[in-house]
Amino acid sequence: MNLDSKWVPMKWPCGPLEIARRNKAKSLNADLKEMLEACGQPSSLELLKGTPINCLIVDWANGKPEDSAQQQALKPLLDAGRRLGISFVGKVALKEGPGAAVAAGRAAGLSAVMLADASGQSFDLPAILQLEREKVSAETASTIFSTKENAWPGLNLDTMNGDTAMAGPTASPWVNSNGWFSLLAGKLAPGKTLWLDFDPPDSSSLLHPANYGLAIADSRAYGSRWIITLDDGLRAGLTKGNAQAKGVWGKLCEAVTFFENHSEWEAFEPQGILAVISDFHGDNAYLAEEVLNLLNRKQVQFQIVERSKSLQARTQGLKAILWLDKEAPSAEQHSQLLDFVRQGGLVIAAAYWGPPEVKPTRKDPSLQYMMYNVGEGQMAVSEGEFQSPDQVAVDTHLLVSRRNDLVRLYNPESTNCHSSIDPGHKKRLVQVLNYSLKPADSVTLWVNAQVGSARLWRLETRDALTLQGVAAAPGSDFGLPPLPVYCALEFEGSNL
Amino acid sequence: MMTTACSRRKFIAAMGATAGAWLARPAMPLARTVPASRVAVGTCHEYGPEVVGVLGNMFDQLGGLEELVRGKTVAIKLNMTGLANTRLGYLPPGITYWVHPQVVGATVHLLAKAGARRIRLLESPWVTAEPLEEFMLHANWEPRDFLGAAARVEFENTNYLGNGKKYSRFLVPGGGLMFKGYDLNHSYEDCDVFVSLAKLKEHKTAGVTLSMKNCFGITPCTIYGDGAPEDEPGLVPLGGRGPFHAMNRLPPKSAPPAVNANVFLSNAPKDPGGYCVPRVVADLVAARPVHLAIIDGIHTMTGGEGPWTGSRYVQPGLLVAGTNCVATDAVGMALMGFDPMADRGTPPFETCDSTLRLAEQLGVGTRDLNQIEVAGTPIAKARFNFRSV
Repeated sequence: MNLDSKWVPMKWPCGPLEIARRNKAKSLNADLKEMLEACGQPSSLELLKGTPINCLIVDWANGKPEDSAQQQALKPLLDAGRRLGISFVGKVALKEGPGAAVAAGRAAGLSAVMLADASGQSFDLPAILQLEREKVSAETASTIFSTKENAWPGLNLDTMNGDTAMAGPTASPWVNSNGWFSLLAGKLAPGKTLWLDFDPPDSSSLLHPANYGLAIADSRAYGSRWIITLDDGLRAGLTKGNAQAKGVWGKLCEAVTFFENHSEWEAFEPQGILAVISDFHGDNAYLAEEVLNLLNRKQVQFQIVERSKSLQARTQGLKAILWLDKEAPSAEQHSQLLDFVRQGGLVIAAAYWGPPEVKPTRKDPSLQYMMYNVGEGQMAVSEGEFQSPDQVAVDTHLLVSRRNDLVRLYNPESTNCHSSIDPGHKKRLVQVLNYSLKPADSVTLWVNAQVGSARLWRLETRDALTLQGVAAAPGSDFGLPPLPVYCALEFEGSNL
Repeated sequence: MMTTACSRRKFIAAMGATAGAWLARPAMPLARTVPASRVAVGTCHEYGPEVVGVLGNMFDQLGGLEELVRGKTVAIKLNMTGLANTRLGYLPPGITYWVHPQVVGATVHLLAKAGARRIRLLESPWVTAEPLEEFMLHANWEPRDFLGAAARVEFENTNYLGNGKKYSRFLVPGGGLMFKGYDLNHSYEDCDVFVSLAKLKEHKTAGVTLSMKNCFGITPCTIYGDGAPEDEPGLVPLGGRGPFHAMNRLPPKSAPPAVNANVFLSNAPKDPGGYCVPRVVADLVAARPVHLAIIDGIHTMTGGEGPWTGSRYVQPGLLVAGTNCVATDAVGMALMGFDPMADRGTPPFETCDSTLRLAEQLGVGTRDLNQIEVAGTPIAKARFNFRSV
């Protein structure tokens, strides 16, 4: 059996291991214990009938005395699941020799195991590796891989005052999103599927209840999948057949189904006239990752280029390149970058590596950059090292110029968007996400293409609506209906 | 009230009176006799090419712009308040709470046609030192349209030091109402003619916006903003002009002092914004006189100065222009259905002092319609009652 990139994963905590863990954490009570036991019963899988969720993550071996009991207890669940077409991934968290646990898993009918470290070992079952973000690469990542250091998407709870979002230093509400990381992982480990592992916030907070639709949309819109994880309150409610819990579950499944119905969008490539180059590792990681995060927050559409990769084929269609790392380009990259500039491109960097005879000028007193005219293009060189990621993101947007924006949001409040295009460049997709619990109202999406209409897709409806655009030269405005969580606008044409 | 088509001679005379007031500002007493003025009202229902024709006729009714601008550097303060991505519903800011780019382009074109040598577009965009062209692009304006409307057009963000080496100091004739003077971006000094290009709209704090309140935005937030340092101007604007609204702090020590520092901080009035903002505006138009006031009321909004005040889109179909900002605003108020002689407690000044009265007190101009000649469409025919729509 191989790992299947179409799996829709969900954590399924149950059995002796979970009960022991909760007991140790002193969070176990009678209701929770009852719920965890119930989730281990085959009948609990009824919940998944009619949903696209087809892969459950279960604890399999922790190196605890309860391992054996856990594996025994799960057998009926695994058997019942297989009959329903559900795959199971067993989580193995052993410091030494997971081989025996993996073999037991194979015998019990697991489809794969999830491990923190395979260390070059080969197993009888395919392994999904759980990596630290900074270790993600084409070499380290398994066909499906997972990361744990992810944020629950939404307004940053640390910057909330009651139910009001406070502006950050950039005057926009601070939101948490894994979008930038999903895009980065897609470049660092191309062709592989990222499962984002993060838990919902404490459900006891009435002001900030978990927004499951957003957790799904923030992952899928940017090309990854969230390992669906329910909070205890929701799971308990579902176990007891609570109507409100069923409503939340129904919305969650609606969102998953929506993205499964649009799996063709997974082949779309991020659009961007700006390439951001870094190795995204070590000392360079913090600045580079935050710049990606903040460019995305400012709706600057970008492409990511891992520094070691050749630029040759990648500069087509680009207007600007942001070179973030302190390290100078290699001789080959240097030549490619200067060619790009000579042909009219803009390179933004913290050091000048162009022809020494070129004398710099200043573009604008507000921008702490010196401009070097080289051929038809320019190099913009920061007067000091890149330090503040926000400043780098702001300056980059201005140096590239808003004239080159692909999309803009008006009345954006806590919304953001992501633009992508199909491999044939005949369809363009702009996905808009609302990171607030309040529906976003009167949001206008501007796209830099003169298109008369778009197909509007929403999580809540099966069919698309036709949304008429309003000419807003050099592009078009689309007034969006109230936006609870997510919508997507699909454009077709030859001028996208 | 007189409704006449005025002569160029009268227009120039009025201009001379205004300019003379500026030159004589250190000795100007309060409540002096103010010059009679004239204001043109034009009807124009859409932001199409017709704007050029209507504005051109209005300038002719004022006596023409040639004598004022020929061979001169003209600075135009645009009204682009708030963030560039904020809209009233789905409507772009130009048709609701900003001056419309078509009116800006038409003005630039007509100024160039009248012989202006250099035209500078100015604004102090909200909490940013970014180039003004980028701020415009954010709102989906095309700065190249303005560059194409005249031979030499420049842009400057005046919310900070900008292209200048130092701030220009403008003292208020007679000593000022709130501050003895104001330190502004060099652009407000490095010009021969100053134009206020405003929107016909109300204002939550100051009652009305119009051509005088538009000048509130000439103050750089590096000095007058929430985040300005205590001693010297900041390098970039941090925050808005909260101190003028809350009277909770004074500008840096390097700026001209307050007339009465005791009314700030703990001694501030109960409605500090309604007290301070109109006075600052009156000070500013006395210290930095407006030579030409233009108000865009073709499409606009009611209820306040921007979408954040909860407002409604309306189409009065009006343009207003005059050589005196107090008189022009008085006609603007009358066109909005307000009495320009109104003061605190009376619409639209329910919770604030009248900027018009304060500016009149400083000798900037008259708000008395009986002393204002109205050319073009009579007020009675053009009135669009902002509180009855």
